[in-house]
Amino acid sequence: MMLLAKAALGLGGTLVLAGVYTFREGVIRVDVDEYRAGGSHVHIWVPAAAVPMAMHFVPGGHMRHASEQARGALPVLHAIVKELKKYPDADFVEIVDHAQHVRMRTHGGKLQIDVDAPGEKVHVLCPLSTIEDVTSQIEEHAPAA
Amino acid sequence: MSDHNRGFFPKTALITTAALFLSPLGALAQSAVASASSTQSTTSAAKDRWLHVRVISSDAKGETVRVNVPLELAEKVLPTINKERLHDGKVKIDNAHVNDVDLRALVEAIRTAKDGEFVTVQSNDCDVRVAKQSNHLIVHVLDKQNSRKSQVEIKVPMKVIDALFSAGKDELDLVAALHALSAQGDTELVSVKDHENTVRVWLDSKNVTD
Repeated sequence: MMLLAKAALGLGGTLVLAGVYTFREGVIRVDVDEYRAGGSHVHIWVPAAAVPMAMHFVPGGHMRHASEQARGALPVLHAIVKELKKYPDADFVEIVDHAQHVRMRTHGGKLQIDVDAPGEKVHVLCPLSTIEDVTSQIEEHAPAA
Repeated sequence: MSDHNRGFFPKTALITTAALFLSPLGALAQSAVASASSTQSTTSAAKDRWLHVRVISSDAKGETVRVNVPLELAEKVLPTINKERLHDGKVKIDNAHVNDVDLRALVEAIRTAKDGEFVTVQSNDCDVRVAKQSNHLIVHVLDKQNSRKSQVEIKVPMKVIDALFSAGKDELDLVAALHALSAQGDTELVSVKDHENTVRVWLDSKNVTD
C-alpha cells in the first residue's frame, strides 16, 4: 500500500513537472472558421515549447527545402520578432470597417493576429520566442552560400 | 518497519512531491516577476519613437486603418529587406523617375537657402505653397476643384531630408532618414483631408493611436 502511494506520488509529481515544463512558454493557438458550405473549421492548441523540440525530428531534407523556400523572408521575420520582443504590448495594425476587423498586435509576449470577416474568422496566437526559435532552426539548415 | 517510520515515509514523500511541484511554480513566479519588470522597463523606456499612420474613410464602408510602428524596429528591419529597388535600407532611384532633375543639387539649394517661400501658386483650381520654415520643408496644397476641397500638408524636418539624400548618387537612404526622424520631437508629418478621407502621419512616444 505504502509502495503504491509512493509510486503514485512520484508519477503525479513527474506528470505535473512535465506539464509545467511543456506549457512554460504558453500555447500556440490557431482557430480558423469558414462560414460556407464545405468551409474549414480548424482549431489547434499546441504547447509552444513542443514545436522547437519536435522540429529536431523533422528530416534534414525537409528542413533544407523549407529553408530554401523561406530564404527571402527568414531574415526579415527574424529581425521583426527580435525587435518586437523589446516593446511593450501594442497594436501594430488595425483595419476596421462595417464588415470586417483585422488586427495585428503583441500581447503578453505573443503575436496575435485576428481577422473577423463576414465569411471567415481567423485567430492566431503564437509566442514570439517560439517564432524566433523556429526561424533560427530553419535558418540553420540553409545551404551554405 | 516501525509505526514511527510508517508515518514518516508518506510525510516525506508528500513534502518532496510538494517541493517538486512548487519549485517550477516558484520559477514561473520569478519569470512572471521578471516579465513584469521587463514590461515596466519597456514602458518606462518611453523614449521609443513611434510612427503612426491613421486613415479614416467616411464613405459607405467607413474604413479606418491604424498603423503604429516603432522607428527603431523599422530601422532594424528595413536593411533585411532586399527586393527590387530596396537594398540595405536604401532605395535606388534613376533619372527617368525624376525627369532628369538633379535632386541632390535641389536639396542642397534648399538646405543652404534661408527661410522663405520657394513656390507660391494661387489659382481658381488650387493653391500651392512650398516653403522652408524653422528648419522644416513645408508643402501645402489646396485643391479647390469640383467644390470638394482637398487639402494636403506636409512638414518634414530638413535633417530628415539631408539624411535621406546622404547615401550615394541615385539612392535614398531610408534608414538614415528614419534615424534622423527618431531624433525629432513629437511632430505631424503629413495631413491629407478631402471630402471622403482623412490621412494623418505623425510621430510621438506613445505606442497607441489616440
